[in-house]
Amino acid sequence: MARMKFLCDAERCIECNGCVTACKNEHEVPWGVNRRRVVTINDGEPGERSMSVACMHCSDAPCAAVCPVDCFYTTEDGVVLHDKDICIGCGYCFYACPFGAPQFPTAGAYGSRGAMDKCTFCGGGPEPDGSAEEFKKYGRNRLSEGRLPLCAEMCSTKALLAGDGDKVSDIFRERVTYRGIGTLAWGWGVAYGKGGVRQSSGLGGKASSTKE
Amino acid sequence: MGKKSPEAAGRRRRMMYRALALMLAAVLLLPLVPYAVAYVGGITNPNPGADLWRQVRQRETPPEVRTQVRGVDTGVLINARGESWRQFRMEQLIPWSGWFLGGMLVAIALFYLLRGRIRIDKGRSGILVQRFTVNQRLAHWFMAVVFTILGLTGLVLLYGRFVLIPLLGPEGFSVTAAACKEIHNLFGPIFPLAVLLILFYFVRGNGFRGVDFKWLAKGGGLLGGHASAGHFNMGQKLWFWGTLLFGLSLVVSGLILDFPVFGQGRPVMEWAHFSHGIAAVLFIGGAFAHSYIGTLGMEGALEAMTHGTVDANWAKEHHDLWYAQMEAEGKVGAVPGQEAPASSGSPETAGG
Amino acid sequence: MKLMKKTAGAAATAATAGGAIDRRTFLRRSGMGIGGAALAGFLPGGTMMRRAAAAEPGAMAAAGVETTRTICTHCSVGCGILAEVDNGVWTRQQPAFDHPFNAGAHCAKGASVREHGHGERRLKYPMKLEGGKWKRISWEDALNEVGDQMLRIREQSGPDSVYWLGSAKHNNEQAYLFRKFAALWGTNNVDHQARICHSTTVAGVANTWGYGAMTNSYNDIHNSKAILIIGGNPTEAHPVSMLHVFHGKERNNAPLIVIDPRFTRTAAHADLFVRIRPGTDVPLVWGMLWHIFQNGWEDDAFIKQRVYGMDEIRKEVAKWAPAEVERVTGAPEEMVYRAAKIMADNRPGTFIWCMGGTQHTIGNNNTRAYCVFQLALGNMGVSGGGTNIFRGHDNVQGATDLGVLSHTLPGYYGLAEGSWKHWARVWDVDHEWLAGRFDQGSYESQGDKQLKPMNTNGIPVSRWIDGVLEDKANIAQKDNVRAMVFWGHAPNSQTRGEEMKRAMEKLDLLVVVDPYPTVTAVMHDRTDGVYLLPACTQFETYGSVTASNRSLQWRDRVIPPLFESLPDHTIMYRMANKLGFAEQLFKHIQVNNDEPLIEDITREFNKGMWTIGYTGQSPERMKKQQQNWGTFDFTTLKAEGGPCDGEHYGLPWPCWGTAEMGHPGTPNLYDTSKPVAEGGLTFRARFGVERDGVSLLADGSWSEGSEIRDGYPEFTADLLQKLGWCDDLSAEEKAAAEGKNWKTDLSGGIQRVAIKHGCAPFGNAKARCVVWNFPDPVPIHREPLYTPRRDLVEQYPTYEDRKLFYRLPTRYQSVQAKDYSRDYPLIMTSGRLVEYEGGGDETRSNPWLAELQQEMFVEINPKDANDAGVRDGQDIWVEGAEGAKVKVKALVTRRVAAGVVFMPFHFGGHFEGKDLRDKYPEGADPYVLGEACNTAFTYGYDSVTQMQETKVSLCRVYKA
Repeated sequence: MARMKFLCDAERCIECNGCVTACKNEHEVPWGVNRRRVVTINDGEPGERSMSVACMHCSDAPCAAVCPVDCFYTTEDGVVLHDKDICIGCGYCFYACPFGAPQFPTAGAYGSRGAMDKCTFCGGGPEPDGSAEEFKKYGRNRLSEGRLPLCAEMCSTKALLAGDGDKVSDIFRERVTYRGIGTLAWGWGVAYGKGGVRQSSGLGGKASSTKE
Repeated sequence: MGKKSPEAAGRRRRMMYRALALMLAAVLLLPLVPYAVAYVGGITNPNPGADLWRQVRQRETPPEVRTQVRGVDTGVLINARGESWRQFRMEQLIPWSGWFLGGMLVAIALFYLLRGRIRIDKGRSGILVQRFTVNQRLAHWFMAVVFTILGLTGLVLLYGRFVLIPLLGPEGFSVTAAACKEIHNLFGPIFPLAVLLILFYFVRGNGFRGVDFKWLAKGGGLLGGHASAGHFNMGQKLWFWGTLLFGLSLVVSGLILDFPVFGQGRPVMEWAHFSHGIAAVLFIGGAFAHSYIGTLGMEGALEAMTHGTVDANWAKEHHDLWYAQMEAEGKVGAVPGQEAPASSGSPETAGG
Repeated sequence: MKLMKKTAGAAATAATAGGAIDRRTFLRRSGMGIGGAALAGFLPGGTMMRRAAAAEPGAMAAAGVETTRTICTHCSVGCGILAEVDNGVWTRQQPAFDHPFNAGAHCAKGASVREHGHGERRLKYPMKLEGGKWKRISWEDALNEVGDQMLRIREQSGPDSVYWLGSAKHNNEQAYLFRKFAALWGTNNVDHQARICHSTTVAGVANTWGYGAMTNSYNDIHNSKAILIIGGNPTEAHPVSMLHVFHGKERNNAPLIVIDPRFTRTAAHADLFVRIRPGTDVPLVWGMLWHIFQNGWEDDAFIKQRVYGMDEIRKEVAKWAPAEVERVTGAPEEMVYRAAKIMADNRPGTFIWCMGGTQHTIGNNNTRAYCVFQLALGNMGVSGGGTNIFRGHDNVQGATDLGVLSHTLPGYYGLAEGSWKHWARVWDVDHEWLAGRFDQGSYESQGDKQLKPMNTNGIPVSRWIDGVLEDKANIAQKDNVRAMVFWGHAPNSQTRGEEMKRAMEKLDLLVVVDPYPTVTAVMHDRTDGVYLLPACTQFETYGSVTASNRSLQWRDRVIPPLFESLPDHTIMYRMANKLGFAEQLFKHIQVNNDEPLIEDITREFNKGMWTIGYTGQSPERMKKQQQNWGTFDFTTLKAEGGPCDGEHYGLPWPCWGTAEMGHPGTPNLYDTSKPVAEGGLTFRARFGVERDGVSLLADGSWSEGSEIRDGYPEFTADLLQKLGWCDDLSAEEKAAAEGKNWKTDLSGGIQRVAIKHGCAPFGNAKARCVVWNFPDPVPIHREPLYTPRRDLVEQYPTYEDRKLFYRLPTRYQSVQAKDYSRDYPLIMTSGRLVEYEGGGDETRSNPWLAELQQEMFVEINPKDANDAGVRDGQDIWVEGAEGAKVKVKALVTRRVAAGVVFMPFHFGGHFEGKDLRDKYPEGADPYVLGEACNTAFTYGYDSVTQMQETKVSLCRVYKA
């Protein structure tokens, strides 16, 4: 059974925010609600790395666990979705989520929250696939069209991968092998400036010998 | 209809009390129902990003991050406390509070069975003593109503998923829960007023005195011997100060939770939820005892909050020092425009 | 009691009953496809998606939905876009996985182009400023009023008093038509953004080896063994290019070196980051070359065969020993050595630069120094090497090629009489008539010869304000500029805001032709004489567009023009009609309902653009390639099989000869390993055959299959005669070629025959390191006009002031003479943000983008912030050395070094602390406004091209 996952390759993420606008574009998400965001650590300093974050469709999803009305469900593809008709906008999922995925449009008295909105892995919601009501509430349902989330499909450097967890892992592992620098996905240990370039650059040899 | 007949009034009162008790019981027994819903079992397909996120999470200080997306906590890469909050809510607050509140009811039931109703030993004297003013009673009932509304709606939100969804179905419960959330959020900001009124009308006489500790040592008379008390005994004083303490806690945390528009982040919200939950549960548990002792548990107590008067014998037995003072001040039996309740019905009625 | 899809059961039944593949089955079966999609970075093809579309159109993809292939209108990468249009409404945007440039990838801008179909903040109708109020008028009235005023100005002050400011946002056809329009109006006062983006690159690079363009391609970076980026921040300016950079970095293990004053987001991914002081590129490059020469790492064979003048470079480089390099640039020896060694050890390496290198008074020196570096290492003319110059706007390369410039005609033909005659022939207009359209006075001379305005460089866009404000007596034209036409240009991308405001106010007439009102509509305090004419975007019309790698792509129309907007070429037709030269302008171009036929325009420039091989890209060939873009290889850009077999994607120029000749385009310039007929090339013989007795022709180097196995000059009919190849010309060709050369033979016969014999039509010469016709023949360092390093001014002074340079007095030394560094101690530099583009009027009006950058800011080092008592997030004033100031938010960061502040240049709509939002026409104000950093930027122009100096100036900061 496919288990849909996102993986952001921080060695490649360049904080271009393409994923963010792709999401807005595909789902017509209003100003103020961001199903996806790019966060950067060590901004402007050596070790700066970015990664795109949205709902990670957890296997044991904390949002689903704490939801007082139990509005979440996990699809056969492992996508964590929710039913906006049931959601009461309490915000508990937002407190529980490690990634800050749940978003709340402001609605009602005292600026209270409307029904929660979050990344659907472009998998829509409980309404019939591709229906107008589904689009209105959850955005497009690309999975039902045989497509993957637009954010990943449009990622400028293919840093953001989406798809079956195994396949995504394979692609990522292959990349890491090519890079030949171990599993520095996060990049804590990337040598910077003083650390020099990678071993495999052949810096040891005499330059002229590398001439063609 | 004209003037209400005392009998009809009594029936209405009875019905009201019973309904209230039933609701309380229903809400409190619900958590004892085993979790009705199990989660879909975790699929053991590993998440390729898991290692990466684990690294992030295990760093002692979460890295400082920037993002172009604006909003609450968007600059937090990972909210590791979310997990402990989930633990607290799902594995501590909900089950423990269930046991606590359920246990409270069981204890009260046991107490009732063992001890029975605390009667006025000497029977009713027919002489009344003014105990609470109209304003005090209004404040009390104002608090009681707001508290009950908030408590019930809160409990629905706390336990409803496990108790009411099997009964109402997801959509049905969603409507209930949404209504409860709205009511809770709407009445919430009134609650501080109730707390203030309680403080204002009841703070006099709630100072601690030496006699209170003796009262406590004697278990309020349950452990044998007569426990002297003033206008308020130690139990009532603790309840008063508890109300203020829990009330303050609920007010502060509740306001934070109710108005998520000041950019308060998740740590604040989680902390607020934490204290709100604990204070509410303790408060509700206390309210059970308070309601019991004020109604079913003790003869002659409720009328203090309904008519504002108590029987002189009741006063002598439970608040002897206060009675002595009232007597000295010549206030016993001097209740303007009120009849003694003893003439208007059986003792049963008063107990409700 | 778990929630489920509400109609899951029903849907599943339907799917099986219909025999269609349901989603789950599909996902299971296409496990490979899922990987493939995610892998698309390496394996384009997007098989999964196409299969999906075929197997299951999906409920949303109902009948009536059409998919249009079009090209992103933001940057020069040229990303392909699949636009889904439902009954004229642009409903969705799909990734074009099989597009050879982007493989479906997009940056924030590219992923949000569908918003163009909403256009909420667009300029919706023609508007006129009347008594300080915007008034809606009809197109008819607008064009009549504007036309009458222009004709009056022409009458009084001559044609040069109307300035035609064009755009890199035109497609090729519109750009060409715009230049022709200006020519037929009778002025060289026509220019566009290329002047202020890569003009120094074009000049520097073209004068080194022949053509002023990116030599290889984004895709070719896959083959690089080392990647050096200087003065460029592609992660923000060209994000999709990073797909290719990472490809090279990861697959080849190519080290990535970033040299920049700022620790950019690109630098964050580098293996080596070298921080330099702004404006010290030449010393840094010479510093690297010093190590290369010192260690004998240069490619001697290559230099001997294909490079002229390296010895003079050696003399200059010898002055740049490590200590001096560090003193001037701030980069320590170890870093410079390491960079040099990496480049020497990993060949071929590519050298990438952007505006960090170009926007300087010595911009042309910088670009030439970069070229020399690549020549020394023998990195030119090889796949994986080259100078990969990332152009800015989507069609800035095309607009440059098609001559929307004040110093040239389409195809870089220049302004000499012969050039005019060539184009008059192509246009089929009488040269005398054409000459008569120009001002007949003379205001400049060359030696004894009096020059006519027709043959002198017009005022460049960077200096239009001086064309307005300068004393008439000092300008080499009849009168000041009195009317400005901003046809797709943001004024906030230019320096000297206070003077610009004054210039705008002094004009008689200010016309904006743009999809948005732009800052031009609001930054001045005029109350009358401003017209806003709504042009549509490129998604509402069609035509060809040239990406940075010289590939021409055909962009299809997605939706019809919104509101009352019109395509640029339609507006040009209607305006030419009013101004009285439409007949000549469209002599061979069909016009339907006021809209000139785009294909006819393409065919017309195909007939004349021989110099750079814009001749083989017929509309038919481009359309065929667009429909089959999936058949081109992701690395080589060559089609293998299919209808375009053997062609390179976009027929990258030069695509020699006529379309019928079928040249496949030249993917990498000067690559001698291939025959010219298959995209090989030599260095161009552009600068004569010898100098001071030394041959400038190639020595023992020729392109594969060349029948002349040595250097040779450019081809002329005479040369063919001498070589005895004349009889290869057909009779018609022979007649047309008589007395002509490869650039002027309209039949293309000379090119065809030269290529038939394996020769490059433009000859086979050496690249030159010494550009003897430039102010600095050997690139040398000169301190910026506003420099904090007064100690270096004496040793590295700027140029002498010039009296007439592009018709205007241009100051250098007199500016540098004054010491501003005490009052203005901080270096001020500028750059891009990924969310916005150019002046930002378009992107700040797109809510999906605007939400991500809501505030103009200045990056300032913690040290400088503390010195100024400024905290992160506070409003501060940044005051430029000429006194203009901007109020912006402080972003305290170590991204910039102490002593340097950085501002993005996309904001506008605030002016020196004043919010101008209420001055926009109602409903056409962008979502986000902010100070234009260029308001505070200062004087300073490149010594060859008049490029503005926006990468280094001085400022001071204080709390607002």
